[in-house]
Amino acid sequence: MQKEVWAFQGDNRMDYDLNEEQQILRDSARSFLAKQCPGTFVREMAEDEKGYTSELWRKMVELGWMGILFPEQYGGYEGSFLDLAVLLYEMGYVCLPGPYFSTVVHGGITLLEAGSEIQKGEILPKVASGEEILTLAWTESGGSYAPQEISLKADLHHDHYVLTGTKLFVPDAHVAGKIICVARTQEPAGDYEEGVSLFIVERENPGLTVHVHSTLAGDKQCEVEFNQVQVPGENLLGELHMGWPVLQKVLQKASVAKCAQMIGGGQRAIDLTVPYLKEREQFGRPVGSFQAVKHHCANILTLLDTSKFMTFQAAWRISEGLSFEKEASMCKAWVSDSYRQLVALAHQVMGGIGFMEEHDLQLYFKQAKTSELAFGDARFHRELVAQQLGL
Amino acid sequence: MDFGFKKEESELIEEVREFIEQKITSELVEETHQLGAIYGGAEAREFIKKLGARGWLTPAWPRDYGGLDSSEMVTYIIRDEMAYAGLPLYFVAAYNAGPMILRDGSEEMKREFLPPIARGEIEFALGYTEPQAGSDLAALNIRAEDRGDHFLLNGQKMFNTSTHVADYHWLAARTNFDGPKHKGISLMVVDLKSPGITIRPLITMAGWRTNEVYYDDVVVPKKNMMGEKNRGFYYLMGALDFERMFAPSAYKRLFEEIVDYARETVFNGRPLSKDPLIRQKLAQMAIELEVSKLLYYQLAYILDREKIPNYQASMEKMFATEVAQRICNTGMEVLGLYGQLKKGDPRAPLAGKLEFFYRSSVVETIYAGTSEIQRNIIAERGLGLPRG
Ligand SMILES: Cc1cc2nc3c(=O)[nH]c(=O)nc-3n(C[C@H](O)[C@H](O)[C@H](O)COP(=O)(O)OP(=O)(O)OC[C@H]3O[C@@H](n4cnc5c(N)ncnc54)[C@H](O)[C@@H]3O)c2cc1C
Ligand SMILES: Cc1cc2nc3c(=O)[nH]c(=O)nc-3n(C[C@H](O)[C@H](O)[C@H](O)COP(=O)(O)OP(=O)(O)OC[C@H]3O[C@@H](n4cnc5c(N)ncnc54)[C@H](O)[C@@H]3O)c2cc1C
Repeated sequence: MQKEVWAFQGDNRMDYDLNEEQQILRDSARSFLAKQCPGTFVREMAEDEKGYTSELWRKMVELGWMGILFPEQYGGYEGSFLDLAVLLYEMGYVCLPGPYFSTVVHGGITLLEAGSEIQKGEILPKVASGEEILTLAWTESGGSYAPQEISLKADLHHDHYVLTGTKLFVPDAHVAGKIICVARTQEPAGDYEEGVSLFIVERENPGLTVHVHSTLAGDKQCEVEFNQVQVPGENLLGELHMGWPVLQKVLQKASVAKCAQMIGGGQRAIDLTVPYLKEREQFGRPVGSFQAVKHHCANILTLLDTSKFMTFQAAWRISEGLSFEKEASMCKAWVSDSYRQLVALAHQVMGGIGFMEEHDLQLYFKQAKTSELAFGDARFHRELVAQQLGL
Repeated sequence: MDFGFKKEESELIEEVREFIEQKITSELVEETHQLGAIYGGAEAREFIKKLGARGWLTPAWPRDYGGLDSSEMVTYIIRDEMAYAGLPLYFVAAYNAGPMILRDGSEEMKREFLPPIARGEIEFALGYTEPQAGSDLAALNIRAEDRGDHFLLNGQKMFNTSTHVADYHWLAARTNFDGPKHKGISLMVVDLKSPGITIRPLITMAGWRTNEVYYDDVVVPKKNMMGEKNRGFYYLMGALDFERMFAPSAYKRLFEEIVDYARETVFNGRPLSKDPLIRQKLAQMAIELEVSKLLYYQLAYILDREKIPNYQASMEKMFATEVAQRICNTGMEVLGLYGQLKKGDPRAPLAGKLEFFYRSSVVETIYAGTSEIQRNIIAERGLGLPRG
């Protein structure tokens, strides 16, 4: 492979020497989503109970997006992590609502990391064909991704486990067919990372109730209550008590995937803002010609370009099978702060009109915060980086 | 898509590190520190020749002129490794004047100057700034009157570093006195030993020296003018896109020493590095250094594809220098009261290095184009915003 990442287009936009398939994927996703997912649709879905339409879901299935990351034997396209990043960038660009991320990233990546042949063989083809929606139930009342947080209990009774506890902020649990639940199977004796296990739970399971939170961005995050939920022993995902190392990997990969969405959103924030600043006149000249505005814009572009680099570097490392823990955490920390700051600056330079509900910029303001919080914010990941530095 | 180094590049990094280990002496580092640049002292002159002998001063130049026909990536790697070792390479001859002569100079001029530059035998000093022409370079007005076979120069330059030790002045002078300011500037090479040149020291708050330079009826042969008369400003603006860069590892070593200090220093029964706030700050610096590295190598990548970085070079310079200052500030927070102790004080942590860098880093966001000028460029060229 050539060193082809630092490339630029004639219009000075950073591009990333995507390979031919990636370019096709990007272009087709861009034009498909522009039609299917305008700002009005995003607003509609924020109000909608389900949060997505079966019609759009089906079309995305036809495009092969559900199985982008899965091996062929499971009905997938064997795409790389970079391919996924290219697609998520486009989804972030339009603020695509719905359970794609929870199904393919939360659910799909966890299954790929920890699933047995039987589990993968049973579930992944259904995901690829659009029949199955997945999610991952991780955080609890402390609202953190740390291992101390896991207190939902799973007790073994003969051939099955009984799960009791409450999960919060579970994305799309209200429409998922299966919820991968992070549970404690052993009381912590000092080390909270031990004794954590993963279970595949049917949402239809009696004893399981789902309430959709009311959120900033109108995306569907849920409170999921497990009241003596019985789960067959074969639904244990990965090894008993050994769930944490799996989750760490999932966290890092999902963080980078989230960043890919975020940089797409960041690009859109610029595209919504900068052309307007060239047209909008005050004091007899374009507001984009005022230096105070320009310097905000220079900072916006810097935040975006650097976020793109950090994201594509981490995604590339994952794709190449290189170590990625440090780069992934650096990436999520940097992009979390940068995306929030860049949209805030975009609002500042837009003036009053950007504050209006009907202007799309506000969608990205909300997306920025939601994404920053998902899988650990900057502070959370900086602590992981500190550990990587041996501090 | 690939973020890794090529095999040859990784090997080169190893080679450079080995070279640095063998060839750098504490005397050289000390001398460089005193002078503020790896130029001018006896140690440096020797060292530069060793670097030149390997072709590492100008690896991207054609072999004909003393280069290795290699890539900018190689140049950038060498410069960053050297910066990491405490010897940031900012040779005016190799990195400013030389590349311009290579692009825009006559064959005669190339033959005369490029090979000795590549061998590390001669050094230039940068002669752009004047009292009334800082960020606004086009306002320069040192006069170069056309006297047939030579120019006669009168006027003053400001902040022209290394003029007291360099061999030549890489001078921007006014050759046309009416008409638009930027259409009357020419570039020329001036022997700094020419009669009529007076150099007066200006000592910086970092302790090292820059200069004011006075020209009083100085004769410069016509053949020393580079390229066409009155086109100097265009050459300069073009060159800035190629030259502008800041090797991020100059402050990486300092950062690592701050990290070590935080690990080793016990306060209230626990190492500073276990303090959650300090962990946060150090991690943030590590992240920003990583970002700087990506911006930096991006420039080499663009150059090697024969494209011109313009807003990207500004972004890299602005970002990396601002990170440099944040590292110093963070370091000062970590060191607390001890941070003010200077080199020589028996209790100075990091042998007083941070106290020095804290002072010297002030200028990073000022010279070679201030951060404000870089932001103007990013907004205008990167986003196409209208000029004010
Ligand atoms: C929710 C809301 C309620 C409001 N209520 C009222 C109300 O009750 N009555 C009323 O009369 N108005 C009201 N306003 C209007 C408000 O005062 C304007 O939005 C505000 O003055 C900014 O003007 P603008 O939105 O047209 O932005 P613009 O003037 O177009 O500014 C766009 C950007 O350019 C910058 N800019 C503009 N000129 C310069 C300059 N010379 N130098 C540097 N930067 C510059 C601005 O700072 C901003 O960042 C309201 C606005 C909002 C959003
Ligand atoms: C230690 C040192 C060494 C140097 N070495 C050399 C050398 O070897 N050779 C050489 O030629 N020069 C050298 N310089 C000069 C250096 O390049 C200039 O200092 C620099 O370009 C800034 O110019 P100035 O100091 O005149 O500041 P000014 O241009 O007066 O700037 C003052 C302030 O105004 C701001 N400003 C100016 N114009 C604008 C604008 N259009 N928009 C927004 N803000 C603006 C600046 O950003 C700055 O904050 C050196 C300087 C120093 C301090």
